[in-house]
Amino acid sequence: MAVAALGSGGLRLTAVDARAHALGLRPGEPLGRVQARIGTPLRVHPADPEADAAALLRLCLWAQRYTPLVAPFGAAEGGEGLFLDVAGASHLLGGEAGLMADLAGRLSAHAIPACIALADTPGAAFALARHGRDGTIAAPGANAASLRALPVEALRLEPETVAALKRLGLRRIGALADAARAPLARRFGEALLTRLDQALGLRAEPLAPLGEAISYGAARGFLEPIGRQETIVATAQRLMGEIAPRLEADGLGACALRLTLHRVDDALRALDLGLAEPTRCPEHVGRLLRLRLDRLGPDLDAGFGFETVRLDVTGTGAMPARQGALARLAEPETTALARLADALGQRLGRRVIRLEVRESHLPERADVLVPWGAVRAGGTPLPNGRARVRASAPGEGCDVSGEAAPLTPPLSRTEEGARRAVRSILPPRSSGHGDPEPVTRVVLHWPGPEEGLRPRPLVLFERSEAAEEVIALAPEGPPERFRWRRRLHRVAHAEGPERIAPEWWRGLGKGSPDKTRDYYVVECESGRRLWLYRDGAHAPGEPAGWFVHGLFA
Amino acid sequence: MERSHEEPDEGACAAGPAGAGPPDRAARRAAARAALRGVAAEGSGRRVSDVLPLGLASVDAHLPGGGLGLGRPHEIAPLVEGDEPCALGFGLALLARRLDQVAGEALLVVAPGHPTPYGHGLAGLGLDPGRVLLMEAGSDAEVYLALEEALRAGSLPALAGFVGDGLSLKQGRRLQLAAEAAGPLLLILRPARAEAPNGAATRWRIAAGGGARDRFGCLAGPRWRAHLDRCRNGRPGTWLLEWDHAAHRFGLPDALAGHPPAARLAGG
Repeated sequence: MAVAALGSGGLRLTAVDARAHALGLRPGEPLGRVQARIGTPLRVHPADPEADAAALLRLCLWAQRYTPLVAPFGAAEGGEGLFLDVAGASHLLGGEAGLMADLAGRLSAHAIPACIALADTPGAAFALARHGRDGTIAAPGANAASLRALPVEALRLEPETVAALKRLGLRRIGALADAARAPLARRFGEALLTRLDQALGLRAEPLAPLGEAISYGAARGFLEPIGRQETIVATAQRLMGEIAPRLEADGLGACALRLTLHRVDDALRALDLGLAEPTRCPEHVGRLLRLRLDRLGPDLDAGFGFETVRLDVTGTGAMPARQGALARLAEPETTALARLADALGQRLGRRVIRLEVRESHLPERADVLVPWGAVRAGGTPLPNGRARVRASAPGEGCDVSGEAAPLTPPLSRTEEGARRAVRSILPPRSSGHGDPEPVTRVVLHWPGPEEGLRPRPLVLFERSEAAEEVIALAPEGPPERFRWRRRLHRVAHAEGPERIAPEWWRGLGKGSPDKTRDYYVVECESGRRLWLYRDGAHAPGEPAGWFVHGLFA
Repeated sequence: MERSHEEPDEGACAAGPAGAGPPDRAARRAAARAALRGVAAEGSGRRVSDVLPLGLASVDAHLPGGGLGLGRPHEIAPLVEGDEPCALGFGLALLARRLDQVAGEALLVVAPGHPTPYGHGLAGLGLDPGRVLLMEAGSDAEVYLALEEALRAGSLPALAGFVGDGLSLKQGRRLQLAAEAAGPLLLILRPARAEAPNGAATRWRIAAGGGARDRFGCLAGPRWRAHLDRCRNGRPGTWLLEWDHAAHRFGLPDALAGHPPAARLAGG
């Protein structure tokens, strides 16, 4: 069996299985030549890089059983493997050798062919796994010695660099390490020495782990698998009860939670709960989880039951201790509202959103929708104490797959088109280092008509709609009559123009920048008021384009 | 009719001070009304809820209790297709009036097909967008679920649901049951065509009024022709209403003083 994809000069093999490898097939060969060379029929599948990436992500999630820091291979490594940072985690399985044996055993039980190596640096581990002996454990500090005999392509270099090095006779990493550095840098650039130093541990190489290391979490295993909703909710509630004192000691509350259910057959179910306000209350978490499971229904698919339930706090927010009132037990208004927002979010899967003003003269860019809770109703940003939020929108990201949704910026009304369902939403604003994120271009005040702002429509179309058959008395004046939505509208009164110029910094990269618009408030004979604009200033000999952009009450 | 007033009247008199002289006829009638209202409230196990007056004597006189009853669904629809922004504006004006009275936020639950209001347009109507929460529901059923959840939570003073089909009898009843405890202003906005018998306390149809000018002849604030089609325990009517976004007040057009036909149309 082999996998082929369109390469240079037709179809080429991209991956082969063990039997095809035994026949002498190698990735990169043209498919036609291979089929001619070997007499046996070959099963060829088209390459599917997206499915490969998804499978790798699933494997990474699974590998988090060994250590929280798991990073999939990037483009430089070929994207066909993963790094595990097992520092401080290997003793749980009887040392490094025990961990590797366990990992190899489990992978082979699932028929996943793998080469595993362990070294001080990701670069060295990669080199040993790809080009060394399977199961190598480099002794601490013996990186350089174990790498010397490996070929230079183990350093994750560009193919051209490898070819050039081989022409120079530098075939082994040892030879490369002994060569003078300055000529190498001059000839091959910085990349070669960076890779060499990273492998030898002379330069740090940060990994891009799947998720942040989770500092608050609890898990419970069961001898008898559980599958009933009430049991899951009760377990999660108890786990939250275990986490709550730890959070309280640090003055934090949970903003985003992830419930991971390990099924008996090694499948994973992950549920993300996003909260509008930091909380530590186990009952609240239990209630939200119940609503979420109600909505999920049979999609949860307990199968033969779950053997492990794990609750992790994936996002925290500052939650300072509050002085309770002796006489009055009433809670503040915002908390009741936050509960409502959470309940709606979990029950219907929809978030409560707010309109936020943006400093822009372009009407369609002057407001955005943001989830409620990012900034409190009073208009002050949340205190950013030690707040941390993952780079995915909590609560929206993964349902049962364990895949997180990517962070998407808010779309302005024109960009989003008519797709209401995919209207993107900002995650709660936070920063990773405790200092408040610089907030630019956000004003928390809505200018009213008293402040000299021209009237704005109550309904603004996401895309302005063309008005046809426009007749205007003066070429640069307001229209007298126009057809819009297949109906003829006669203008009884018009006010304007209000000229709105495009923002100069937005049209820079494009070929044709947006035009200046002249807006008119128009009252039709039916009494309805519309907001029309002429696209571009009047130019003799050029037909004016008119558009309806909004409706007044 | 006179006889029916007598009976509770006797009870009211007996309860009153015995030494008083023959009570005034109007006072006796008022006492009887109060007693009847108390009996009705006790009988159904409900409290007499508050109302949101529109602030116009001519309109409030048509409404039971002198305003829109809080804790009951009120239906607002455009008169014909094309009047949707006017119906939306009227509903938002009512929300603004309610938020002017009490602290808290308003929640708008929007079904597909209805536009999301524009923030600066809300501000122009006098409704602070910072006090408006929005939720985009996927269907009418979700709108009602969300409204019921919000009503049960009881922390919001004003709610509005924008639905694609008319309010059904069953949904109206469910909403009223959920709303009774909290007593918020509850509005349901529906499109023009989806008319159905329902359990709304009042049913409004709104059309564009047009012709609102200030003293310089420029376009003034919004003006609507409001038809009160159905009103439980009240009288229907038609008015031409203007909205003052700064004072959060409805008004009758000034120009009607010199325009008898329009004034007759505007009713009173």
